[in-house]
Amino acid sequence: MTRVCIFVAAFLSGAAVMSLEMAAFRLVQPEFGSDIIVWGSLISVFLGGLALGAWAGGWLADRRPALWKLGAVVAVAGIVSLGVPLYSGAVLDWTFPVGEPAPAEWGAGSVYVPPDMRWPTLAAGTLLFLVPAFLLGTITPYAVRLFVREMPHLGADVGKVSAVSTFGAIVGTLGTAFYLIAWMGTRRLFILNGTILLALGLALVIADRFLSVPRRGDGAAEEP
Amino acid sequence: MDANSKLSWRRTNAMFILALAACLPGGHADAQQDKGSVILYDKDSQYYRIRVVDEAGGKRRSLYFSRYRGVQSRMLRANPDALDFEYARSMIAAFALHGKPKNVLLVGLGGASLPKFIQKHFHGTRLDIVEIDPDVVRVAQKYFFFKPAPETRIYVMDGRMFLKWVVGKYDVILLDAFAGDRIPFHLTTKEFLQLVREHLVPNGVVAGNLWNPHDTRFRAAETATYLQVFPQTYLFKCGNSSNVVVFGAMSRTKVECSDWVGRATAVARGRALGFGLPKLIRNEYSCQTGVRVRESALTDEMAPVDTLLREHPRHFEEAQPAR
Repeated sequence: MTRVCIFVAAFLSGAAVMSLEMAAFRLVQPEFGSDIIVWGSLISVFLGGLALGAWAGGWLADRRPALWKLGAVVAVAGIVSLGVPLYSGAVLDWTFPVGEPAPAEWGAGSVYVPPDMRWPTLAAGTLLFLVPAFLLGTITPYAVRLFVREMPHLGADVGKVSAVSTFGAIVGTLGTAFYLIAWMGTRRLFILNGTILLALGLALVIADRFLSVPRRGDGAAEEP
Repeated sequence: MDANSKLSWRRTNAMFILALAACLPGGHADAQQDKGSVILYDKDSQYYRIRVVDEAGGKRRSLYFSRYRGVQSRMLRANPDALDFEYARSMIAAFALHGKPKNVLLVGLGGASLPKFIQKHFHGTRLDIVEIDPDVVRVAQKYFFFKPAPETRIYVMDGRMFLKWVVGKYDVILLDAFAGDRIPFHLTTKEFLQLVREHLVPNGVVAGNLWNPHDTRFRAAETATYLQVFPQTYLFKCGNSSNVVVFGAMSRTKVECSDWVGRATAVARGRALGFGLPKLIRNEYSCQTGVRVRESALTDEMAPVDTLLREHPRHFEEAQPAR
């Protein structure tokens, strides 16, 4: 039963990562343009968040892992996602470079290239999405830690959790791109994903009270 | 489904495919297979794959952004400054609607047919051009013989960012920015058009090209968006072409067809535009203000351009006059 919970958590959080990423493009593009810089920046921020999250999640997983802790992280990720639309406007305004009006004297008939947008875009993406991506990034290693029971099956177990999470990511990507953006719009996508994560997190916390998490894995982590 | 309706369904489908083929001169009947075609330029840019092709034995030169997504611009070699596309001619009607534009902004350069035309026939117009792709600017200059006049300035940036950034107002704004066969969603929304409105003088006019081969929900939704933002909105269906041009006018007074035609006659006088602007307006004029469009306006929050372009207005009735 615990394993089913972990599958569900891995699937839904994988879906949420990609759904949030797609929504992030729709949120940033009106302000920062349909530039390839926007895509590059946001993908990097999400990957960076996931990487840092994986590191931290792995570290945390070796310290008294419990399903309720996983649930708590998922719930916090949900709350952060719910908050994004509240402050995104302010963040995008603040990071947008204030351009000076075009100088009158520059050569007429010439090609004018605007100020460098790369770092402001990356800054906006970081402020908005690094934290949710980080929190969601902690889930996979933590889920693996809870999932694995015996070392001989470590490889297969890691593969399973990773596969389920990636399938979730596919569902999140296609579902958002093909249907959800047209059905609900950008802001409501954040609310949907936040709500799903919050509900999932709370469900995991509650489930932990009724399920005995196998502790056998703990022995492997103890220092000799 | 009985046999008859099946047949008619098939026929509709076949007609649809034929119509699609007709709309995409650079489509599946690919230029490379056309014996009279020579590819002059074929490179990936930061945004598109840009191709310049000499077609019809070198009689015309076309610009493509990707293989199957239609021709972006076309130039007649015999007359490089002429407007070959109906939609581009329709957009010039915005000049007549304003009367005497001095400051003009064009969003989306393409093959530079509009700027070449404007520079030639409306000499001395201050023209600002915004184009996101630096390679498009280069290609327009090298292959489409675009020489920016002293009054012309080119900004290599996103159209919406430019409007956020620039200070000053324009008499006429021409929106012709496309990514392949569709307008990037952030250039379709109410918020964007409000930004456009802020950069128009009190009698300013915006003309937007909506590439719209079949009557899709997008056209209706975009018209609804113009209706929300501009005091007066007009729509040209551009003859048999795949384009629709929407005009948003800042002036509160409705311009009647005869009035617009009269202004066009004044504008065309002494200018060899190469096409009948007054006649075009007489044929195409349709005022949309007060018309009820059964589609909601697009917003930054909700602009499913791709979905709307794919959907035919099955339950959509042609805009009904409001009562």
